[in-house]
Amino acid sequence: MSMRFIGLVFAFMIAAVGCSREQNFDEKVLNLITPQKIKGFDPIYAADLYASNEIGKVYEGLLEFHYLKRPYELTPNLAESMPEVSADGLTYTFKVKKGVLFQDSKAFPNGKGRELKADDFIYSIRRMADPKLQSTGWWLLDGKIAGLNEWRDKNANAEKVNYDEAVEGLKKVDDYTFQFKLAKPFPQFLYALAMPFTFAVAKEVVEHHGQEFQNYPVGTGPFKLDYFDNSNRIVYHRNPTFREKLYPSEGEATDEAAGLLADAGKKLPLVDKVIVNIVVESQPQWLNFQKGSADLLGVPKDNFDQAIVAGKNLHPDMAKKGIRLSMVNSLDTTYVAFNHTDPLFKDNIKLRQAMSLAYDHVESNKLFYNNTATIAQSIIPPGISGHKKEYKSPYIGRNLEMAKKLLKEAGYPEGKGLPELQYETVGSTVSRQQGEFFAKNMADIGIKIRISTNTWPELVKKTNTKTAQMFGIAWGADYPDAENFFGLLYGPNESPGSNSSNYKNATFDKIFAQASIMQDGPERTALYEQLYEMAGNEVPWIYGMHRTSVTVYQGWVKNYKYIEFNHTQVQYLNADLEAKKELLKKF
Amino acid sequence: MSAQDTKSLWADAFSRLVRDRWALISLVIVLVYAGIAVLATIGWGLPDWKTSQASEYLAPNGQFWLGTDLFGRDVFAKVIHGTKIAMSVGLVTSLIAIPIGVFIGAIAGYFGGWIDDIISWFITTFSSIPNIMLLISITLIMGKGLVSVYLALGITGWVGLARLIRGEVMKHKEREYVHAASAIGGGHFRKLFIHILPNVTHLVIINTSLQFQTAIKSEVILSYLGLGVQGEPSWGTMIDDARQELARGVWWQLAGATFAMFLVVLAFNILGDALRDSLDPKLKGK
Repeated sequence: MSMRFIGLVFAFMIAAVGCSREQNFDEKVLNLITPQKIKGFDPIYAADLYASNEIGKVYEGLLEFHYLKRPYELTPNLAESMPEVSADGLTYTFKVKKGVLFQDSKAFPNGKGRELKADDFIYSIRRMADPKLQSTGWWLLDGKIAGLNEWRDKNANAEKVNYDEAVEGLKKVDDYTFQFKLAKPFPQFLYALAMPFTFAVAKEVVEHHGQEFQNYPVGTGPFKLDYFDNSNRIVYHRNPTFREKLYPSEGEATDEAAGLLADAGKKLPLVDKVIVNIVVESQPQWLNFQKGSADLLGVPKDNFDQAIVAGKNLHPDMAKKGIRLSMVNSLDTTYVAFNHTDPLFKDNIKLRQAMSLAYDHVESNKLFYNNTATIAQSIIPPGISGHKKEYKSPYIGRNLEMAKKLLKEAGYPEGKGLPELQYETVGSTVSRQQGEFFAKNMADIGIKIRISTNTWPELVKKTNTKTAQMFGIAWGADYPDAENFFGLLYGPNESPGSNSSNYKNATFDKIFAQASIMQDGPERTALYEQLYEMAGNEVPWIYGMHRTSVTVYQGWVKNYKYIEFNHTQVQYLNADLEAKKELLKKF
Repeated sequence: MSAQDTKSLWADAFSRLVRDRWALISLVIVLVYAGIAVLATIGWGLPDWKTSQASEYLAPNGQFWLGTDLFGRDVFAKVIHGTKIAMSVGLVTSLIAIPIGVFIGAIAGYFGGWIDDIISWFITTFSSIPNIMLLISITLIMGKGLVSVYLALGITGWVGLARLIRGEVMKHKEREYVHAASAIGGGHFRKLFIHILPNVTHLVIINTSLQFQTAIKSEVILSYLGLGVQGEPSWGTMIDDARQELARGVWWQLAGATFAMFLVVLAFNILGDALRDSLDPKLKGK
């Protein structure tokens, strides 16, 4: 007993010594936190936000979203300029920047990184289509590039995938020029080139490391990986051979006053080292931030009261330490989906409307989002064209009387005759509580809900096989275009495609098919708004919220600006070491 | 022989059990829990946990002894109703695990030879698999819910008892009374179930009380991990809720659920100990 106690004391002492490691003021270091284990750094598997953020430090794409300008705007990154697009909208000609080097790696001759060429992009896009690799981003290009699907199908059963065979839609013009040829118009195509899935990898490195490639990232990006322990931490330092990429000198009107242009024209990246700690639980994340050992953090739900007063201002205790707050609407929608292959919901719009009216959005916003979210009226969040401000859904906003009336008309007076419905969600505490809240709301009109919690892969399997009856999830924009959201209700996209609720509506599908191949403009916006209203009135899902991203950051962090597609953000951040020395005294 | 010895083993054991004050208190606690569980099952006379009665996260007060939760529900009522899940899991898993354990253990111990080899292999294999892993995989295969928890805990709970009974039966089958039974022509069935088994019953009783509390603890762990009971108050789910609520100073949910579990597990442990003492034939009459 006493031995064990002494052991415990030692364990604490070691932990204490470990934590009080001296802050280093010789170089600019950013200490970040990510809440999820990272499987690896292979761009073609960058399906989740957290993997994308790490991949975006090492690898780069042809385009990126401008760090400061809003609404979001694409700018060239590895591309010399924005591409030339042919009149029919099918051919995109890209010029690649000259003199861009891959990071040094033993996969290259003499260990020196070689220059990036047009071939690297053609190779990287093909890897996404490689049937043996099963990229999680294939949906993005599926059916979009001429000849790519055929190449994929042909090689599906081949012993070795043939990369030498030409693909019509991926054509090299010279070492620095190449063309994409699309199979059909796809105006969102350029967004795909700003997503980590399409970032450039070098063939030599892929072949050198084989199965281990995902652990040895070698890109052209601003940071080079030093150390990678996928359950603990990831350390990067500045890539010494990074090209001359400069901090932008123009942005939104308010950026100048916010000090976001102070580093304009300086060479990126602005910090020497980035440490990313993997901390899964929200309490240790919060404590790390409070201690000053994390520079930037999304505020966990249960710490909201400690961080924010009156719903919008930073808590004085935190303001005293120089901490700052950013609250920005994120481009997402939470929802409870009905499975439309289930005859209960398929043709019974009144049942769906009744359930939507029974849901208490106001209370939900208070309990789960501290009143910071915006109640969704339909599928598109504000900030994306197609969102119609004036539109108010008649089925959003709790009205039990109306709900009961509709339920009766649906054929289930007071819920009689309706079987118990199964609500699927992921197993996290908050998701379960949201499920309980939903069940409680439905009980008020006599509908019984059974909650079933799943791991994420289990839930995906259930939706892919159309066996989930109802499920609560959220969708965040991959790119700022309504097509990315409306596609979730487009009939032909049904499971295992992105329309996991298997909603089918001939009129909706027709308008979507027409709008999705149009270039941006007032005509397309009009069609999008029509879809938006339809998605509201038809209640294919019970819409929840458009959430607000609440982030706190330390006073010594410079140039922080919320960006929805944030995998490129870290290179723009700066750390003020003098300010850090001063501010840390207050911790 | 003294006059005391004329009392039967059971009557003697009982009188020794109730003389132990702590054992008696524990017995009363267990009976109270069982009573609450019965009331909760028939839905009679207990406070309501389902409806929101006040605003969220009220601290403990005169009306809500353990405060309210996220949805303004009475935490005390949730603790009370959690008893039902805990006790029913304890009971049902014991009903599954104990007969399996006794039967398999007795067969292995009595017959020996290749039967024993096979059964021992099973016992060793089962006990070498980490318990919680096995529980998780069983609930994943069978889907979630109370029935899965019963089965999962039931079919993992028999191992320890089977091993114990096996050893005990091996010892007994060489005893004179068993030889005597053979001599007068008793068959295997008679010797094993009529003669030997009553002599190891005390082990079964002690084990049941230990099995019971292990099952309660496992249920709490499974529910905490989101693999257990769904849609009904369970101490495990309450502790899971509390994990994050602690940050905003909400301690009552954690305190209520943990204390309720602590008390019943402690009571079962003390009771198990006392039963062991009072049922030991060597201590008879002392």
